[in-house]
Formats: sequence, structure tokens, C-alpha cells
Amino acid sequence: AEKRLDPQTKHLVRTGVETVLNPYDEYALEAALQLRERAPGSTVTVFSMGPEALKETLRKALAMGADEAVFLSDPALAGSDVWTTSLAMSRALSKIGFDLLIVGGLTDDGSTGAVPGSLAEHLQVPCVTNARKAEITDNRLSVERETDTGYQTVDVALPALLTTALTFGEPRYASLKGIMGAKKKTIAALSTADLALEAPVGAAGSKVAIESFAPPPARGRGRVVEAADGAAGAAAIFEFLREKRLA
Amino acid sequence: MKDVIVYVEHRGGQTRKVTFEMATQARALADALGGKAHAVILGGGAQRLAAQLAAYPIDIVHVSEDSDVDAFLLDPVVDYVAAVAGSTGPALLLVPNTLSGRDVAGRLSARLKAGLAADVTEFHVENGAVACTAPKMGGALVTTCTIRPADYGIATVRPNAFEAQTGGAGAQVEAIEKPAGKQYVAKIERDVEEGAGELALEEAPVVVAGGRGLGGPEPFDTMLKPLARALGGAVGASRAAADAGWVPYSLQIGQTGKTVTPNLYIGIGISGAIQHKVGMRSAGTIVAINKDGSAAIGEFSDLLVVGDAFAIVPELTKLLESANASS
Ligand SMILES: Cc1cc2nc3c(=O)[nH]c(=O)nc-3n(C[C@H](O)[C@H](O)[C@H](O)COP(=O)(O)OP(=O)(O)OC[C@H]3O[C@@H](n4cnc5c(N)ncnc54)[C@H](O)[C@@H]3O)c2cc1C
Ligand SMILES: Nc1ncnc2c1ncn2[C@@H]1O[C@H](COP(=O)(O)O)[C@@H](O)[C@H]1O
Repeated sequence: AEKRLDPQTKHLVRTGVETVLNPYDEYALEAALQLRERAPGSTVTVFSMGPEALKETLRKALAMGADEAVFLSDPALAGSDVWTTSLAMSRALSKIGFDLLIVGGLTDDGSTGAVPGSLAEHLQVPCVTNARKAEITDNRLSVERETDTGYQTVDVALPALLTTALTFGEPRYASLKGIMGAKKKTIAALSTADLALEAPVGAAGSKVAIESFAPPPARGRGRVVEAADGAAGAAAIFEFLREKRLA
Repeated sequence: MKDVIVYVEHRGGQTRKVTFEMATQARALADALGGKAHAVILGGGAQRLAAQLAAYPIDIVHVSEDSDVDAFLLDPVVDYVAAVAGSTGPALLLVPNTLSGRDVAGRLSARLKAGLAADVTEFHVENGAVACTAPKMGGALVTTCTIRPADYGIATVRPNAFEAQTGGAGAQVEAIEKPAGKQYVAKIERDVEEGAGELALEEAPVVVAGGRGLGGPEPFDTMLKPLARALGGAVGASRAAADAGWVPYSLQIGQTGKTVTPNLYIGIGISGAIQHKVGMRSAGTIVAINKDGSAAIGEFSDLLVVGDAFAIVPELTKLLESANASS
């Protein structure tokens, strides 16, 4: 989906664009579906917050296999920063209730990566991020999580928040049956009136305001050298690096 | 917002390089805001690492060697940093934009009711407010945002985006009191370091990245590692190479991998798909080696050499090694 900012409000334009599940969220959903398969009787609810048009994204999640969907939407939420996004979502999530909350690691627009930690803090649950493996036994969650330099194993009691790494497993495709079934499901709607909010949300409550934006300096096609052989190619790069004082 | 607090991340007994970049920014920001520059170092070795930081212009280094910090997942870290922030009043916190830094920043933003700016590559102070510049949407836009000055602010800082400058008068080292009445639950059962001692990909000044064009795992070891070594850099990869299992995902650069900002990026056997480009487009200089002159990577490379990587790379490594030996 093409992403842009509104020149007037400087908010992310979230309407009138084709919306997709962001890649990390597909992995989060895949993890939820795998864990459900191993815990008979459990259900997977998908939740998102955004403008009305985004609702259809949740249908894709239902088609992949989620049981239920809840969508928080309200014009008052426009222009939310990390603080107000997490505040509003955490109130909705406590209302929905959960044993395990699985969140994507990073969005591909805002890309703060800070929403999962912030949600865990609001919800007062343990926060285990970047999982590549997770098991639930006797109401405990044991996780193998990736770190920048290796991995760790962690074990916490539920309820908890988990984010998934891409190594958790490739997201499945929606089956035809799934797609047909999803069409018949209703997506429950929440608005800010349903949440016990004591502080303003959306742009009014945000603590960060975008002042300006611009495309990055253009980066065009540079020098092209056809290398007759390995030595010629190597010499071209070596000379170039010397010229740029990089070697 | 007056004081500036740097959260120091360390692994395997070593302070991450981005710490020194943040310390340098903290000084300039604290001066512009009329406050002090602080750093917080937690866990085993904190005292020793505090001494290392003395070469940088920080006023106060807050330390705790509490063993809970290493035994439990981040909860003690959040408590300690929040305690320091509580003692200064509304401050700007600088946290590295790394896997664990993002967790710390997110947790603290809710705890301190703070405004958060992510992946910052430039700071300015305007009328007492901190303005942060950051690439967004995979670098397709560069945005500048301000954080409400009456509140706490948190900036996750992109590694390698700022210069580190020494020049401290020797910081005062203070112990942080253990937060009372805490019972931590997320115990780390096992902690395994894999790439210990190797330069972190996001922090490397030079990145040599390989893709599907390398055909298998061996060339990463036999060709890319020696080239990276000769340039003082680290090895990265495209998703195609990670998906094929040739390298671990921790080396993947791009939309669903790491974002790197080295002085020099060399892409070898990588076509330059948009999802890869968003992770490396801010590199200082981009060089590509590709046998296909029409590969997309040529559209944003400063130099594209059209030829066979297997013939070019070993020769290039030899040239660099002999230049290194004679200098
Ligand atoms: C949601 C999503 C997220 C993604 N995230 C990422 C991401 O984070 N990072 C990422 O990299 N990709 C990502 N991708 C995948 C991306 O679209 C490309 O498929 C991938 O980057 C291609 O990798 P490559 O360039 O190594 O392989 P290819 O596109 O196959 O290119 C190989 C190149 O090697 C060249 N070559 C072959 N042999 C030689 C030789 N002997 N010498 C020199 N050159 C040679 C070829 O000419 C070709 O240009 C993502 C895709 C999706 C859909
Ligand atoms: N508006 C939202 N609705 C639902 N989930 C969200 C929203 N914003 C962020 N998230 C979740 O938080 C993760 C990290 O987002 P971010 O911190 O913005 O990079 C995403 O992958 C989502 O799982």
C-alpha cells in the first residue's frame, strides 16, 4: 500500500489507501493460530485500531483463521502518537480480555517498535519480545526469544504480551473456505465512548507533533563500470573507494 | 524538559558504540536546554563501564550492579531508569534504536507518560522544545517532530547516525537505590551469545551484504567475511539469503530486517528490491556488484560494477589487504 502524510494535518493518511496486514502482524497472527492448534478450546481474537476502511484488513485475518475480530475506530483517534495509540488500545484490550496478547514487532509505516512495550506497561503484564518459539503449558508461557547477539529462554505466567520474530514461522495463506467463512463473520466495533478514558486521545492527547516532512535527498544512478574481468572490476571499486577516502 | 538521560546498553561486557554517539548528543542537548547530561548503566560490570564513559561529556553517571538486572527480562531496567528520570523531573531520554532499546523505550513511554520519537537521526532545540528528525516509511520521507516540552520525552536513536566525540571533565558516579518492594517474574532461564565479539551490523561503519547471487552459504564465509574484515566492517544479507538459510536472520537488512546507516555499503549479488532498499538507502556511499547491468540496485548506487562477484570480490580483497599492509 502506498503510504503518505497529509500536507495540512501532517497525519499519516490512513483512509482511501489499500490496507494490508503489516508483515510483522501476519507473523503474530500465525503464532496465535499455531498456539491455538496446540491448546484445544482456545480462541483467537484479532484486534486493530484505525479508520473505518481498515476494518477489511481484519477480514483478511479472519480468513487466515482467526475466530473473532474487534475493531476500535473513532475520528477522535486521528493523529495518535505512541502514547495515545497505546493508551486507547490498552483500554480496549482490557475490555476484550485475553490470556495472551500477541503483537507485531514493528509497523511498516510508523515503525516505532515501541507500541508492544508501551501496551505491556499499560496492561501491567510481562512483556516478552522477538519470540522464535513459544509454548503454553499449565497457564505458563515459555519462550525462546532472539536478542541482538543470540537468544534467551524465558518463562512467565499468563496473562502476558508476546511479540514474534520472523523465524517463528511463515504466515499461512487463507484457504478458500476461510475466505468464504470470513465474509459471514461480524466484526465487533468499539469507539472511544466504550473505553474508560480519563485523558484525551488522538491529536489532542498526543505528546509528539509532526512539524514538517520532505522526501530524502534524491539518490540517482551513479557511475556504471562494465568489468572485463575480476581484476578490472576490483580495480574500479578500489580506485572509487580511494577517491572517496573510504579505503 | 531540561536534563538529558542516556540509557546505556551493553552486552558481553562491552558498551554499545551508539552509547558514545548518544553521550555526545546529550551534552549538546543539555547545554541547549539548560540542564545536565546523565547516563544510566545497569547490571554486572556497570562500575567498570562507567569509568569508560568518563572520556565523554556526561555530568552524572548513575550505576547499579543489582544482579536482578541480568537475571530478569527488562523489568528491573525499566524501574531503575524510571527512578533516575523521577529524580530529574521532565527530561529527554535517549535510548538506542535496537531490539532491546525499543522495548525499554516503549515501556518507559507508558510509565513516564512521555512523548516518543523513533529512529532519530538529527536533533535541534527550538524555543526550548526538542525537534527530532527521523526517516519514516522506510526512508521514503524524512519527518521532523517536536516533543511537548512540559512532558518527558524519549528518543530512540539510530546507531551510526551521529558522531561520537570524547572530551569529558570526568563524570560524577552515583549509585541508584534499589526500587522498593519489587518482585520480578520474567526470569531469564538461558542466555546464549552467538556473535560475541563481532561488530553489530547496525553499528558497523562498513557493511558488505550478499544476496541470492552468491548461490549458497560458503561464499559468505570465504568471500564476504574476508572483504568485510579488510574494510573493518560487518557482513549483512538480503532476505533471499536469510530465507534460504545461508545466514541467520540477524544479518538480514531491509523492511523486515535491520536498518543500517554505514559510511559504505557494498551489495554483492543483490538485485535491490524496494524491501531491501528501505534498510540501506541512507548509507553514505553505495557500491553494487551485479552481473546484470539493469538490476534495480544500479538506480540508487554511487557505483555499479557489472561483472561476476566470484571473480571480482577476491581480487578486491587482495587489493585492500595489500593497501592495509603497506599503510
Ligand atoms: C513483505 C516483504 C518483506 C520483505 N522484506 C525484505 C527485507 O527485509 N530484506 C530483503 O532483502 N528483502 C525483503 N523482501 C524480499 C525482496 O522483495 C526480494 O525478494 C529480495 O530482497 C531479493 O533478494 P536478492 O536481491 O538477494 O535476490 P534476487 O532478487 O534474486 O537477486 C539476485 C541478484 O544477484 C545477481 N547475481 C547472480 N549471480 C551473480 C554473480 N555471480 N555475480 C554478481 N551478481 C550476481 C543477479 O543479477 C540478481 O540481481 C521482502 C519481501 C516482502 C514481500
Ligand atoms: N493502530 C494499531 N492497531 C493495532 N495494532 C497496532 C496499531 N499500532 C501498532 N500496533 C501493533 O504494534 C506493533 C508495533 O507497532 P509500532 O510500535 O508502531 O512499530 C504493530 O506490529 C502492531 O501489532
